[in-house]
Amino acid sequence: MDRVAHAVGLTPEEFRRRNFIHEGETTATSQIIRERVEMDHLLTRALQLSDYHAKRERFARENQKSNGFSKKRGIGFATFMHGAGFTGSGEVYLQSVVSAEATAEGKVRILAASTEIGQGTNTIFSQIASEALGLDFESIEIAQPDTGHVPNSGPTVASRTSMVVGKLVESAVLGLKQTLVGSGLLRQEYNDADFKKACAEYIAKFGSLKTSSTYQPPPNVHWDDEKYQGDAYGAYAWAVYVAEVSFDELTYEARVEDFVALQEVGRVLNPVLAAGQIEGGVAQAIGFTLFENVVWKDGRMANNQMTNYIIPTPADIPPIRVFFEENPYAYGPGGAKGIGELPMDGAAPAILNAIENATGINFNRIPLMPEELMTGLTRFFRIDM
Amino acid sequence: MLITLNINGESRMVDVFPMARLLDVLREQLHLTGTKEGCGEGECGACTVVLDGQIVNSCLVPVAQVNGSDIKTIEGLAHQDQLHAVQQAFIDHGGAQCGICTPGMVLAAVDLLNRIPQPSEAEIRNGLAGNLCRCTGYMKIFESVVRAYQK
Repeated sequence: MDRVAHAVGLTPEEFRRRNFIHEGETTATSQIIRERVEMDHLLTRALQLSDYHAKRERFARENQKSNGFSKKRGIGFATFMHGAGFTGSGEVYLQSVVSAEATAEGKVRILAASTEIGQGTNTIFSQIASEALGLDFESIEIAQPDTGHVPNSGPTVASRTSMVVGKLVESAVLGLKQTLVGSGLLRQEYNDADFKKACAEYIAKFGSLKTSSTYQPPPNVHWDDEKYQGDAYGAYAWAVYVAEVSFDELTYEARVEDFVALQEVGRVLNPVLAAGQIEGGVAQAIGFTLFENVVWKDGRMANNQMTNYIIPTPADIPPIRVFFEENPYAYGPGGAKGIGELPMDGAAPAILNAIENATGINFNRIPLMPEELMTGLTRFFRIDM
Repeated sequence: MLITLNINGESRMVDVFPMARLLDVLREQLHLTGTKEGCGEGECGACTVVLDGQIVNSCLVPVAQVNGSDIKTIEGLAHQDQLHAVQQAFIDHGGAQCGICTPGMVLAAVDLLNRIPQPSEAEIRNGLAGNLCRCTGYMKIFESVVRAYQK
């Protein structure tokens, strides 16, 4: 984007602003964006949070004084989106199911195939269920995702667990409540104790209480598999990431010194977990941009050890400053959209743009190791002479 | 060979192959599975334990070298039900995600705070630089360390 901006004589910022997508406009797959999109606002805020304009000016001034042995600095950004859930008809084919059952102790047990791998699935599902039912967090249990016991809610991938499977959790537990109310054992207004009692009474009377919810696409979401056109995703998260880098003219090492990650992800269900997802994704993306070089030999990875495949350590990662804008999504649980993959998208372009700002050279390949930086920069100087 | 290890304050006698890694003896013979294996080559710090007061990568320690030593693993950090302040801070502030780096990261953080009770950000980064984490991006780990010493 920065190269196109340069070619047409616009600043990176102005070029983005003239081309941002808005509500009512269409994407490359003819999808009409039906949600409020405020990329202009996100960009303004991200540039403020990162002090972009002042730094751009200061670095330009200071980089001129470089003597070939100093550190040049640069700042760059990327504006992007990431769709959540499976692409196109994926979710329709999957027909994911989530069940909720009442236990004899009056707790609600969620049965889903989504797997807790540290990203916080169990916490988020408990939170969605307890908020939907107005019950204490502790009254929700999450069943182990043993496929002999839980329904098929699809794989734990595609930024879909909170948004798609979480929505099914929400409707499954609401079904539980409706059944209890319909049976006359629970009034519309209830507290934790009433709910527990109603569950116990229902189970005593009918043996068990279990409800299931099956995925249905939100209204207006259609995908044409033959033409590969339509609503590629139900919803998108929108983001602007800004990277500040230093470039060592002696060692050709580029380091990320500061990172601002601003995104609109619907409603943030859990601020600590959401920030954890963004910080982790940004750190991995910094890794694949500047550190992680897969070396192939005879069809195999030659450096498949941590000794020679270098990932960022605590000493390598800059402060990752995470900010959210909230714009509740009508078809996500509690208004949430997916965020898992989003942070992997923006760091590399933001860092490469910052390196261009520092060095004057546009690189378009990652991983950008010191060797590549040296080759690119010395080639440039040779042509220049 | 028969060796004696003083593990988490308890003296244990184990019959070991002398070149067995301390990591494997801890996990497989003593069933202390809190200590994790990450890379198995001393790079990632997941297998960190405290050996005679110093943190080491237990994957690099032949067990014959530690006969009679004091070893503290993650299982020995809490006082009964009372978690160590660092453990509690990791829970409260999102310092753990998948959990593989966590036992080593927590022991490295405790070691850091023993040496430097109120570390600066740079000291935290350097103090934990031998422990890799792929999930958190380290921010919430740093925050957990700060919150732990503030308590």
